[in-house]
Amino acid sequence: MGRMRNLAISFLFLTVLAPSAMAGDIPSARSDASSEVVSMRQLTQAEYRNSIADIFGSEVEVRGFLQPTIRIGGLLAAGTSVLSVTPVGFDFFTKLADSIATQVTGAKYRVKLPCAPKAPKEPDDACTAQVLSHYGRLLYRRPLTQDEITSAVNLSSGLAKSQNDFYAGLRFGLASLLQAPEFLFRMENAVPVGNKQFALDSYSRATRLSYLMWDSTPDAELLQAAERGDLNTAAGLEKQVDRLMSSPRLDVGMRAFFNDMLELDNFDTVSKDSILYPKWNSGIAASAKEETLRTVIDLALHTNGDMRDLMTTRKTFLNRSLAADYQLPFQFTGEWTPYEFAPDSGRSGVLTQASMLAMFSHPGRSSPTKRGVAVMDILLCEPTPTPPANVDFSVVNDTSGPLKTVRERLTAHATNSACASCHHHSDPIGLSLEGFDTIGQRRTTENGEPVDLSATIKGRHFVGAAGLGQFLHDDPKYTACLARKVYAYSRGVNSDDVPASAFKAGYQAFADSGFRMRSLLESIVLDNDYFSAPPPSPEATSSAPNVPAQ
Amino acid sequence: MKIDRRFLLRGTCQGALAVMGLPFLDCFLDSKGESLAATGRPLPTRFNTFFFGCGLTQQLWIPKTGGKDYEMTPQLKPLEPYRAKLNVFSGLRVPLDDNPNIQHWSGAAAAATGISPTKPNEFGSKTIDRQIADVISHGARFKSISASAAGDPKQSYSSLGGANTLPAEASPLSLYTRLFGPGFQDPTKGDWKPDPQALIQQSVLSAVADNRKRVMQNLGTADRARMDQYFTSVREAELQVAAQLQRPEIQAEVAIPAAPAEMVCNNSLPNLRNVTPLMARLGALALATDQTRVFNLSISEPTSSMFVPGDSLGYHQSTHEEPIDPVLGYQPQVAQYNLDSMELFAMLLKELDTVPEGDGTVLDHSLVFAFSESGNARVHDANGLPIFLAGGASGRMKAGYHVAGDSSPVSRVGLTIHRAMGVSLDVWGKGSMEIRQPYTDLLA
Repeated sequence: MGRMRNLAISFLFLTVLAPSAMAGDIPSARSDASSEVVSMRQLTQAEYRNSIADIFGSEVEVRGFLQPTIRIGGLLAAGTSVLSVTPVGFDFFTKLADSIATQVTGAKYRVKLPCAPKAPKEPDDACTAQVLSHYGRLLYRRPLTQDEITSAVNLSSGLAKSQNDFYAGLRFGLASLLQAPEFLFRMENAVPVGNKQFALDSYSRATRLSYLMWDSTPDAELLQAAERGDLNTAAGLEKQVDRLMSSPRLDVGMRAFFNDMLELDNFDTVSKDSILYPKWNSGIAASAKEETLRTVIDLALHTNGDMRDLMTTRKTFLNRSLAADYQLPFQFTGEWTPYEFAPDSGRSGVLTQASMLAMFSHPGRSSPTKRGVAVMDILLCEPTPTPPANVDFSVVNDTSGPLKTVRERLTAHATNSACASCHHHSDPIGLSLEGFDTIGQRRTTENGEPVDLSATIKGRHFVGAAGLGQFLHDDPKYTACLARKVYAYSRGVNSDDVPASAFKAGYQAFADSGFRMRSLLESIVLDNDYFSAPPPSPEATSSAPNVPAQ
Repeated sequence: MKIDRRFLLRGTCQGALAVMGLPFLDCFLDSKGESLAATGRPLPTRFNTFFFGCGLTQQLWIPKTGGKDYEMTPQLKPLEPYRAKLNVFSGLRVPLDDNPNIQHWSGAAAAATGISPTKPNEFGSKTIDRQIADVISHGARFKSISASAAGDPKQSYSSLGGANTLPAEASPLSLYTRLFGPGFQDPTKGDWKPDPQALIQQSVLSAVADNRKRVMQNLGTADRARMDQYFTSVREAELQVAAQLQRPEIQAEVAIPAAPAEMVCNNSLPNLRNVTPLMARLGALALATDQTRVFNLSISEPTSSMFVPGDSLGYHQSTHEEPIDPVLGYQPQVAQYNLDSMELFAMLLKELDTVPEGDGTVLDHSLVFAFSESGNARVHDANGLPIFLAGGASGRMKAGYHVAGDSSPVSRVGLTIHRAMGVSLDVWGKGSMEIRQPYTDLLA
């Protein structure tokens, strides 16, 4: 009897699924011994949420959290290639899966499903298969294999019968897809492309492009392009890249990238000393993060600006909370308003925004070292080694002694040769930002002494944040670092391990365009080698997470 | 009507297929319709950990003499009420072998695994709580539970090895919801029934697990291990559901309180003082009702960001930057934070010791392993890190001792824990921390 049912279901799939299953290259590739999964990236919280919204509509709520990931080579994106699903993480996934499946099979949503059962209290395998193969293709970012559908349909069918409810059965079949590894991990599948070369199959290409550009799952058109094999041709690829990049959804994708690169996720746990800085509150914190993202997206995408200007621009976006933090009168209507800091404000670029200044500080005081290390790591791709183990830092702190300012104390500290080699790199950067306190407010004195904002890096003298901004603006290491991080982010690899040759063409186009973000993105993904993969090998490396010193 | 092998195996009840519509609740009731009778098995011994960053101040915490009659020290003062149930270990070494001294990490990883770590924030193996859980948690709903009083899911020292840390519950409400929210059947109530949803959930998990072989195909070595971990997690979820179908045997007289309110959870000491006892209380109740047998609580990261409002430096920064007071001979602000850490530890012990069960309290039927990463945080020295073992492990652990600096590697405590928890293990730790000799004198 079981055999008969399987047979019946198989027959049914031939009719329901024939068009996609026959045309796509996946079902055959999956069982092909010569194909290999070359990368397996766990969905981030944002990718998960965006994917669910795109697949089921934004009315389906995603209630809950996913397990946190780790930052490797400055990017969480690389951490997603290394971590697995812990039991706690799976518990999150399984609860979310059930909650989403319950909503999708609930009375309100049912009308949107591709079919209705013949009788609501009985299993209807044809309809179940239709629903599950429809959503399964969107969830797995490729058509489901026959085995995969059979397994989910059998589960639904059995439970529909025991519950006397078609939708109860469907709910659990759908939930099983929603917690399957093929959904939770972005699996990049490589296939031979002749002469011992391997490259991503077309669905994996669609997935990589979509999560990079839109921070979400491939849409119907992109999946169709993958199915037709369009993404394996230069013209077809170009067409889809062009489409993805001209959509306003590129904002979402680039927000996700800059959120990762600028480490703004850490901002969620920044707390400030409520006695020393009573003004700081969660409203300011949330707004500060948003300010930075708005500034970056406006420059990179909306005005197609020169990305070097991110280091020098005084243009920003403010709301009422931020105006209070910046000690500015807020006379605007509306929630967010473009604003340009005055030339004498001391502000220069994203580094002088409250988000970056507050994130790389202590709860009650600024930290030139933290700020300097962050700039080196985030913007110049030069991670600072951890400090030597046996160091006595106490001289750095005695504010009651003769050394009043952080600068004086740091200078004393950096005379220790073991410390000096690194502090000589990071401190000048941080010291030039000392005109801003731990919550990003401007100041001219510290403990009664005037703050000295002068700095020297590589023989170049400058003063204050504006000087630092100009220095970074002119430093090709900054633009190269940006290109490196975009490349590493899109591939989910450790940026420290990426050879410069991998994004050389992208960087050249970036420079030629006057450092326009769109040129960088486009040339990286259209590069001939972008989808190529190493031939299958048993060895794979994982990298050490990058932990900032102190 | 064969549906699937595993479906059949897992979804059965007294030989009948649950999905056939059998009133499967009957499976869990005896002939009189009452819940299956308790078997009279002894209470399980629980294992708990407590992590506090930045260590303590040596001259203020280490008792002058070893043994039972040591003189209480200023920084151990908060633990005085539990002295008879506490062992204090001083002078333990953390030999790193060829690995670097990973600041504020090597000590923590060594204490939790007996292995000198090679990378920051990674463990050389599964952590001790998970090792113990492998042995003792069978039948409990959750294999282990971790909570972070500072509200950061990353502040967990419970790991599957490498960077695969199990995230901590980051607020009392989320801890409560996980333990006593949906899926919880209150065993303190007379009308306990298994949740019918659990059996369905089992079928779903079984279907997910059935895909294992297919999914594992075509994976490279590293990804294969990661995928294997995914399926291990699925298996743990299956066991969790199976445990939900059985009424836990409990001896404690407790009542599950209403859900706590949302609260601010961060590194500020006043907030930690509110959150820590609440989380400890929920943990104690979870142990008493056998929802879990392993509860981990942390109050900070190793570079503790704990701060008192008004102190512009905070704990970790103070350890490095506060000058040593020439008269006192130590860092006074740091010493205060040390003492605060011990007060928070005492809050956990208090909650465990407040819940009576059987012939004692939950603490008496537990072993609590409290550890930090630094022996001297100021200069990043892991050697001499403070270690405590509290609770009687159901009579298997003698307590009340100060085990004074015998230069054993910290892993000796780990091996002793295994023995006290009834795990027969001959050797624990690696390299210079490989140890074969537990503290036999402490084992009853």
